[in-house]
Amino acid sequence: MTVTICIGSACHLKGSREIIKQLQELVAANHLEDKVDLNGAFCSGNCVNGVCVTIDGALHSLSPENTKEFFETEILGKL
Amino acid sequence: MVTNDATILRIKHEVLYEVAKMAYEGTLEQGREELPFKMIPGPQAQFRCCIYREREIIRERIKLAEGKCPTGKNSKNVVQVISAACEGCPIARYVVTDNCQKCMGKACQNSCNFGAISMNRDRAYIDPLKCKECGKCSQACPYNAIADLTRPCKKVCPVDAITMDENGICQIDEKKCIQCGACVHSCPFGAIASKSFMVDVINMIKAGKKVVAMVAPAVEGQFGDKITMSSIRTACKELGFADMVEVGLGGDMTAAAEAAEWAEAYKEGKKMTTSCCPAFVNMIKLHFPQVLPNMSTTVSPMCGVSRMVKAQDPGAVTVFIGPCMAKKSEAMDLNIEGNADYVLTLGEFRALMRAKGVELKPEANDTQEASIYGKRFGNGGGVTAAVVKCLEEMGENTDINVMKCSGGAECKKALLLLKLGKLPADFIEGMVCQGGCVGGPSKHKTELEAKKARDLLIGQADKRGVHENLANYPMDKFSMHRH
Repeated sequence: MTVTICIGSACHLKGSREIIKQLQELVAANHLEDKVDLNGAFCSGNCVNGVCVTIDGALHSLSPENTKEFFETEILGKL
Repeated sequence: MVTNDATILRIKHEVLYEVAKMAYEGTLEQGREELPFKMIPGPQAQFRCCIYREREIIRERIKLAEGKCPTGKNSKNVVQVISAACEGCPIARYVVTDNCQKCMGKACQNSCNFGAISMNRDRAYIDPLKCKECGKCSQACPYNAIADLTRPCKKVCPVDAITMDENGICQIDEKKCIQCGACVHSCPFGAIASKSFMVDVINMIKAGKKVVAMVAPAVEGQFGDKITMSSIRTACKELGFADMVEVGLGGDMTAAAEAAEWAEAYKEGKKMTTSCCPAFVNMIKLHFPQVLPNMSTTVSPMCGVSRMVKAQDPGAVTVFIGPCMAKKSEAMDLNIEGNADYVLTLGEFRALMRAKGVELKPEANDTQEASIYGKRFGNGGGVTAAVVKCLEEMGENTDINVMKCSGGAECKKALLLLKLGKLPADFIEGMVCQGGCVGGPSKHKTELEAKKARDLLIGQADKRGVHENLANYPMDKFSMHRH
């Protein structure tokens, strides 16, 4: 599963680095390094909905606060 | 520097400069619509068939300068084709030229295994439907009359990732592309470019973030023998960066970690490859995944320095500056923690400086952060020299056999041998650019042009050892391995 997180400046200022850090830690804690591929993406122009995270083409809007919940439902729940 | 795209370089740089200027001024929103008209005022077209196409190409260049995909594309690839700029050069690869004497020897015809060559009224003819593009006729002809018309982009691609669509427009197979950027400056029409993080970096600086520049060791000497690392640090600060760190220091870090790995692998009889060149890492991942267990787990010098900066200040934003395009793809691999947030090529860095009216000024060469081994990391053979130096400092065996590969073809050959279990050497040093990072696609001067200044500047550095240098840095605060 490829999870793509926007690393453009708008998403960065909305906390994309914090989200990336949380996802890296969650992936490591659940030993999913071989199953989950975390990727960065250039700005896709959806800055108002940031932080933009895409899984299999579906765009999600994340914040550092709901990242853990997102990981459980959208990543753990769909593996 | 002689390139295939001299005129285009000016236009590309002009777009980068204008976009950087607008990003600093905060006028990008309306300015991006006006720029194509400003740059191509008309009514006469200068380069292409009409001003509308010229403006369209400028529009696409602006998008790439902002880090967006060209219109109609949605892909993660760093290297992108501007379809409107591609002239769809001839596809028939081998063509008989006027030099043909229609001789009696007929070496071309005799060399062809596919019966593709016949004799026309005044010269040989190659049937494109039968030709398999093996090149034997071209080599056989005693008059050099058969020209190899491979597209320049296709010719330089080390992994055969470039094809043409049904209209002859260049396409990059993203499952094969290793983001090395070799094709970018090979195209005489400037139809290939890389997405840029320039606007993101400017926005970070404007947002008041602590943005730290990390300058590649290959940059030393690129701007003449008077422009030292101190000069570049001053320029970075004038641009709004909080500080600048030499990535040569990261070269020292990587060499020390890799030496420990190699020493252990050597004792176990396990063969290993380097992991500092991102295009080489991409080549292994996409084309030789069987070899992945043999790839060093040490992170790149860029990542090492970024981790050090972030260990000292977790809020810092790290930006790598160098001649490399593949580093952009390394920064986007978020499976590696703490790596650089953004990457700028030297061309983008120059655009930033011009937009801000900053110039590189001569300064004393008195701030040394890396050993000469770390500073030479960006030269072919430099990684090996640094690792061997570390092995020597550690009192380990230094009599190791390393296959030093510079350029995509050599890397590919060595990896193939390793995959087949036939590698004669113990280790592979892989650098996808010719001559190492100093030959990177976004270099300012060629390796040869910069050599004198580079040797002079690095010659002024003291002779500290790698471990001796690292003792000055908080190496216990971060890991030098991937996971």
